[in-house]
Amino acid sequence: MPNDVVIETRNLTKVYRDFWGRQKVRALKALDLEIRRGEIFGLLGPNGSGKTTTIKLLLGLLFPTSGRALVFGRDATDVTKNERIGYLPEESYLYKFLSAEETLDFYGRLFKMSRRLRRQRTAELIEQVGLVRAKRRQLREYSKGMTRRIGLAQALINDPELILLDEPTTGLDPLGTRDMKQMILDLRDRGKTIVMCSHQLDDVQDVCDRIAILYEGELKELGRVDSLLKVHDVTEIHAKKVSDETQRQIKQLIERDGGELVSMGNPTITLERLFLDIIEESEAHPGRRVRGGREA
Amino acid sequence: MIVETQQLPFLEWLQSGPLIWLKVVGTLALAGLVLGYLVAALRNGPVAALGITRRVLFSGVADLVLISPRRVWALTRLAIQDSLRRRVVIVFVVFIVVLSFAAWFLDPGSEHPLRLYISFVLTSTSYLVLLLVLFLSALSLPNDLKAKTLHTIVTKPVRPSEIVLGRMLGFTVVGTLLLVVMGLVSYLFVNRGLAHTHEVVQADLTPVGQAQAPSGGLVPMKGFSSKSHGHRHDVLVDAQGRGRLEMAQDHTHALVCTTSGDEVAYEVGPPEGLLIARVPVYGKLRFVDRERVEKEKGINVGDEWAYRSYIEGGSLAAAIWTFDDVRPEDFPERLQIEMTLGVFRTTMGNIVEGLPGSFLIRNPKTGLTVEARIFKAKEFTTDVQYVPREIAPTNVYYLRRETIAGKEGEEPQVKYVREDADAATADKAQFDLFEDLSDNGRFEVWLQCLAPMQYFGAAQADLYLRASDASFALNFVKGYFGIWMQMVLVIAFGVMFSTFLSGPVAMIATVGALLGGLFRPFMIALATGQTAEGKVFYGGGPVESLIRILTQQNVVTEMEAGLRTTVAQTVDGVLQFLIWVMAQVLPEFGQFGSADYVAYGFNISGAWVAEHGLSTLGFFVALFVVGYFFLKTREVAR
Ligand SMILES: Nc1ncnc2c1ncn2[C@@H]1O[C@H](COP(=O)(O)OP(=O)(O)OP(=O)(O)O)[C@@H](O)[C@H]1O
Ligand SMILES: [Mg+2]
Repeated sequence: MPNDVVIETRNLTKVYRDFWGRQKVRALKALDLEIRRGEIFGLLGPNGSGKTTTIKLLLGLLFPTSGRALVFGRDATDVTKNERIGYLPEESYLYKFLSAEETLDFYGRLFKMSRRLRRQRTAELIEQVGLVRAKRRQLREYSKGMTRRIGLAQALINDPELILLDEPTTGLDPLGTRDMKQMILDLRDRGKTIVMCSHQLDDVQDVCDRIAILYEGELKELGRVDSLLKVHDVTEIHAKKVSDETQRQIKQLIERDGGELVSMGNPTITLERLFLDIIEESEAHPGRRVRGGREA
Repeated sequence: MIVETQQLPFLEWLQSGPLIWLKVVGTLALAGLVLGYLVAALRNGPVAALGITRRVLFSGVADLVLISPRRVWALTRLAIQDSLRRRVVIVFVVFIVVLSFAAWFLDPGSEHPLRLYISFVLTSTSYLVLLLVLFLSALSLPNDLKAKTLHTIVTKPVRPSEIVLGRMLGFTVVGTLLLVVMGLVSYLFVNRGLAHTHEVVQADLTPVGQAQAPSGGLVPMKGFSSKSHGHRHDVLVDAQGRGRLEMAQDHTHALVCTTSGDEVAYEVGPPEGLLIARVPVYGKLRFVDRERVEKEKGINVGDEWAYRSYIEGGSLAAAIWTFDDVRPEDFPERLQIEMTLGVFRTTMGNIVEGLPGSFLIRNPKTGLTVEARIFKAKEFTTDVQYVPREIAPTNVYYLRRETIAGKEGEEPQVKYVREDADAATADKAQFDLFEDLSDNGRFEVWLQCLAPMQYFGAAQADLYLRASDASFALNFVKGYFGIWMQMVLVIAFGVMFSTFLSGPVAMIATVGALLGGLFRPFMIALATGQTAEGKVFYGGGPVESLIRILTQQNVVTEMEAGLRTTVAQTVDGVLQFLIWVMAQVLPEFGQFGSADYVAYGFNISGAWVAEHGLSTLGFFVALFVVGYFFLKTREVAR
């Protein structure tokens, strides 16, 4: 089982300080997470809630103020773990003077990849993200969506086991969004682990297996998407051809006889509803965990 | 050119240089470790800090040892591409423009055209290239941090050491390519700029002596050549039809006459002696006074900071240069002695004639001394004198070294006493320089002034033996190598500072560090209590000096023994060591430049190249490690 844990954070805390060491922002407060192999994990939260901070801590781009972040059982600041990681930053931070092909070739050189393998992966990825026609153009000429695509290709150059995506769908057109989501699901099916954060709640709802919701650096909710969105204390009945009389006595009628029972189960709300509920409640009662974790 | 500091032989330097490096780097590493531990202890407590320090140390060693050439090369390439994208080629274009303007205002009729041309190309190249790499190296990492392109790189399996090394190497490659191209262009520019010829026509020549041609020969002629590049040469043609255009503006031309019937045609060769690399062999200087008592210095004629020290004319006083390791291969026919003496006159004398002087050659082992040559010293110019290998001396004797008691309370002194040679020696007609007068390539040249009331001034570098010339082209390359080393230093400092400072600040810091090198001699003097020339640097360390100032004590009086003095001197010991380390950290930037050697036509010795090359490497490695350390301990995403 521990073999299956890809990411583990223990009491992970990040305080941004200014030059003089004065505290500016507590961006992340004592985060405990465990992300397992083969899942798609979503980090949600309003702007400035600490999602990007968490991902940067996992990558060793920031050092924790206290607590630890372990990736593949190694400290997040250990560069050798990066052999197995792919990262798509919030915005694609790539060299604008390189073309798509040169970009992928350059990043490929940073891994133990033979020239042939590099060429092959480059061609494959360019095809996959749909940039075949633009592959010789400098990135400075790329549109936002195209930059996003080459950013993703760059993250996948080493066929990583763990992929960290910071808002993967922003800037993409609906088609691109669909492709991206499909690609994420395909990666999962190939046994990769994916951590993503996003504001596109329907995207998250579509692809994520588990989510964590952060608010002002605190973990507010953590669990499987399907169980989080299930409303446990409500039963929903879809009925047809039911008389007014029956409607009034619906509970008995269902038990005894009468109408045709179409469906019965727990209704779900949208993730958007859940998200807004949590945020509103957090604002009303700061510092309280909204609901108990409901791991499936 | 006056070479004020003497070059240590390479092997001697090799015994001290690397040791200093180890000492400084070791001290700094230790200081860094202690500082790191203290910071960690402040944050995590003293016990946890031990573990952290150990971890950082291990990962640091791993980062430095397990550098992957493949990734370094990828990053080097990136730095090169980045530089090219910034259009560094513009610098080359600027250079070409500067050169084409220069062709216009550099006066080829200058007194020393080589100096002018070489100084110009080397100076303009170095300014352009150094400024360029300063910008490139100091701005590159900060730009990448700002554009966050570094985020994407550090999330690949790249070690911070590889990033720093990649930058340093990348900019070095770019700068090197530029230097190579600029060097080639400069070489052509200098060659083309100095190439010229003159015409010699019969009308400008007049016969020397009788106008009758000796049988089978021509009438010796003298006259002058046509004017070209702002100068003329005197022309001499001998009876065999061989001629020369005499020395003017540091060069001569060969002249060949061909006769067809009555017509004589003169063909002038290219300039000779203009593009040269003299190989000077320096000796060690000491003096004897008018009683032949050995002295470190001669007479001071009044100037407190005098570079030269003087010997009295018409006396036994002499300036003595001891040469080591002079091999017959370097001087197959004769010794060529070149000197630039200072002359101090107490009476006017004959200004035009020059003061008479005399060379004695002495074998330091046997004491055999021959009076080899009498000459007239020219003032203000480099004077060339020859001593043949087979010397037929005017006088032979022995100068024996004796130790005599010094004056009261002084050290014993060395005195040279003359002893007549035995009959066999005295009758010998010729003395071989290497067999009779040198002790395994070691001999002494004694310089005496023969004019009473007048003085010769001499400094160690004033007189040297000139071995066969080295290749000018190679010397030119070595001149560019000097710029190359300066460039590498700028890059190493620039990249190092840019790992923790913003671009403009890193630039200023780099310039500051290199300017700081100017204070290095002073700092070393302060730290060691001795100047580079071996003089005592009075007053003690900083604390002692402060006490002296406060108590208004003279700098040379002994400090009163006691606790205060002991404490002050102990603290000074530590401070002086720190100052010494600081001084070593700053390179003496100017010393890496070698333009003057090339410009003045002196060969840059292999030892110079090796020492400075190794020093550059030492700085490069140390700065690389420091830069790595700063990058490693910084949060890239801040
Ligand atoms: N370099 C920094 N220096 C100081 N404070 C920072 C820095 N980076 C982020 N913060 C602060 O930390 C908090 C969390 O920021 P973070 O970027 O992690 O948010 P986020 O959840 O990714 O937001 P968004 O959805 O807008 O991307 C914010 O309050 C932010 O202002
Ligand atoms: Mg973010």
